[in-house]
Amino acid sequence: MVLTTPGVATLRRDPDQRALRDAETADAALAASGDGRAFERLYRTHVARVHSLVRRMVGPDHADDIAQDVFVRAWNKLATFRGDAAFGTWLHRLAVNVILARRTTLGTERGRYDDSADVLDDVAGRPAAPEWSMDFEEAIGRLPDGARQVFVLHDIEGYRHDEIADMLGIVPGTSKSQLHHARMALRRHLDR
Amino acid sequence: MKDQWTDRLSQYLDGELAAPERTTLEAHLASCDVCRTTLEELRRVVTNARALDDRPPAADLWPAVAARIGLSPREQARPVVRRFSFTVPQLAAASVVLALLSAAAAWLIVRRGTVPTAPVAVAERAPVLLNASAYPGDARFDAQVADLERALARGRGRLDTATVRVIERNLRIIDRAIRGAQSALAADPANSYLNLHLAQEMRRKLELLRQAATLAGARS
Repeated sequence: MVLTTPGVATLRRDPDQRALRDAETADAALAASGDGRAFERLYRTHVARVHSLVRRMVGPDHADDIAQDVFVRAWNKLATFRGDAAFGTWLHRLAVNVILARRTTLGTERGRYDDSADVLDDVAGRPAAPEWSMDFEEAIGRLPDGARQVFVLHDIEGYRHDEIADMLGIVPGTSKSQLHHARMALRRHLDR
Repeated sequence: MKDQWTDRLSQYLDGELAAPERTTLEAHLASCDVCRTTLEELRRVVTNARALDDRPPAADLWPAVAARIGLSPREQARPVVRRFSFTVPQLAAASVVLALLSAAAAWLIVRRGTVPTAPVAVAERAPVLLNASAYPGDARFDAQVADLERALARGRGRLDTATVRVIERNLRIIDRAIRGAQSALAADPANSYLNLHLAQEMRRKLELLRQAATLAGARS
């Protein structure tokens, strides 16, 4: 994965990338003028990425609803897309904002905002028994909310600690600490 | 087992340690198997994270999204099995193929003298969509074309020369198709097929110009 835009690991610089970006910019302009089919093309291109981001950030239970919210918000905000960055970059940041706006409610509903070291140790300390066969994605999903969100945003999505701190309302040092705890916990779930 | 350096390994991995600290840690790593192993595992975690595949939702969310943003049922019902993406040259090439095919069909029809008419009585013939005099004398069409051509001319420098060549070549082909349809309509002004063909070519020209102008404007 090549990071070409600060904070977002979406674009690879290959010969087709520029043409793809142009086509998406054109589709975004058409969609902004009310062209539903152009917007559907954008949806088809980005739904897997958006849905995966949502699923990793908040878990599978609400992923469909929030992914829908992302695209509805994108449709309503298309006029603000200026084409300065790739559409995927713009959509991705918008998706993060939608997710973070929902996370407090979800966290309250689930009572899962326990980022204590004990919880992290619990994830890390499970025995590597045969029945403990969750894959890496599942292991990410079992991390406490704070550690999981920092891990997803930093190691999967490519955001910097200062960006994450700004988004999550924490200090960069906390972001670094959460990331390290998440990585340490996930070591147990590497393929042997 | 943890030692004083364990909690700094992620920062080391991310290149966030200051030079003196990095040097000291590297010296420690040379003599500490546990930290070396942990560092390697952390490195693999990061590699795994970056290699994760994105998966689409189990169910297609588009119908619900389309309904929420108020798109028509027709747009919602359209089945989409796979997402195709095309570059501008590909789209332009596709439009040219269509233009050539329809122009060839028009030519064959006129040449054979078997111009199809609408399958209704003459008195009830479908209304003519456009007639020969509508192009280029259609002021609205001419104005739209002129606007788009001006926009394209302004942003032309931002487009690849290869893209400009393809667009210009395809515009010439579409113009030829339009002129061919006009010529045929001069002989049979009420022919609904030829009128439809002319209208399609005019729309195709507008669409190509619109897309090219958008691209030219977007490359800021």
